[in-house]
Amino acid sequence: MSGEQAWTEGTLLERAIAGDTAAFAALVRRHQRSVYSLALRMLADRFQAEDLAQEVFLQLFRSIGSVESEAHLAFWLRRVTVNRAIDRLRREPPVTQAALAEADALAAEPVHVDPILERRLRALLRELAPAARAVVLLRYQEDLDPTEIARTLKMSRNTVKSHLQRSLATLRERLGEEDPDGRSWATGERTLT
Amino acid sequence: MSDERTNHDLEQSLRAALRPADPGADFPAGVLARLAAEPARTLRPARSLATASWLTFALAASVVLGLFIAHERQVRRTEQGLEARRQLIQALRVTGEKLELASRAVNTTEHSTDSLHSGA
Repeated sequence: MSGEQAWTEGTLLERAIAGDTAAFAALVRRHQRSVYSLALRMLADRFQAEDLAQEVFLQLFRSIGSVESEAHLAFWLRRVTVNRAIDRLRREPPVTQAALAEADALAAEPVHVDPILERRLRALLRELAPAARAVVLLRYQEDLDPTEIARTLKMSRNTVKSHLQRSLATLRERLGEEDPDGRSWATGERTLT
Repeated sequence: MSDERTNHDLEQSLRAALRPADPGADFPAGVLARLAAEPARTLRPARSLATASWLTFALAASVVLGLFIAHERQVRRTEQGLEARRQLIQALRVTGEKLELASRAVNTTEHSTDSLHSGA
C-alpha cells in the first residue's frame, strides 16, 4: 500500500490545501466515481460527463481552501456537480439518441438484475426535469436522505419530498404503460395478474 | 402486488440502475493535465480558511491601530492648540500689565511736571 492510500481523507485534504498535488490526485481518485456518475446520469453523455467531472475537480482545486472537512468535501462536490450539470443542460441542446445508447452501454458495471429494466429506468430518468432528476439521483445513487438533498440543492425538504413522490409516480406510470401484458418491471419476471 | 411492494421494488430497481460508474483509471491524470495547462496564477490552491482568517484579523487590527493613531494625533493637536492659546492669553495679560504700569508712570511724571510749573 502506498503512503497516500494509507492516509485518511482528512490528512489528504490538509495536504491538498497546503498545495500537495499528489494528495489532491488521491482525493480525485476517492471521489471520481460519485462525481462522474452524477454527471453521467444528469447529462447522459459520457464525454460531456467526463468533461464536467474534470471541471468540478478543477474548481475544487481552486477553492480547496474553503473546504472545511471530509463531509463538507463530499457535500461540496455533489452540489457543484449537480449545479454545473443543470447549467449545462440549460445552455446546451439535448444529446442524441446514439450518445444516450453509448452512455448506457458504458454507464455501469455488469448488471445483476434485468438489464432491460435498468436501461429503461435510466432512459425514463432522463425524461424528468433536471431538478427532479437531481433529486432522484441524490436519493438513489448517492443514498442521501431528503434533508441532505435539500441542503445540497438549496431546496426545502418538502420540495424534495414532492419531487421524489412525483418522480416515482411518473416512473411507475410510464413503466406500467409500456408493459400492459403484466410483466413485472421490478423483478423482470412475468406475473399472471 | 401491493403499492408498498411496488414502491419498494421500484426503489430497489432504481438503486441497481443508478449504481456508480467509474470514469476510468486515467481520469485523475486528465484532471492533473488540465490543471497543468491552466495559467500559473490559477494553479495555486486558494488560501486556507485559517490563512484567510489571519489576513482578516490583521486587516482589522491595522484599521483599528490606524484609527487609534489618528485619534491620538487629533488629541495632541488639540492639547497643543489649547496650550498655545493659554500662552497667548498669558502673554497678552503680562503685556497689558506692563502697559498699565508704563501708562501710570507716564501719568505720574506728567502730573509732577505740571505741579512744578504751576508752583513756579
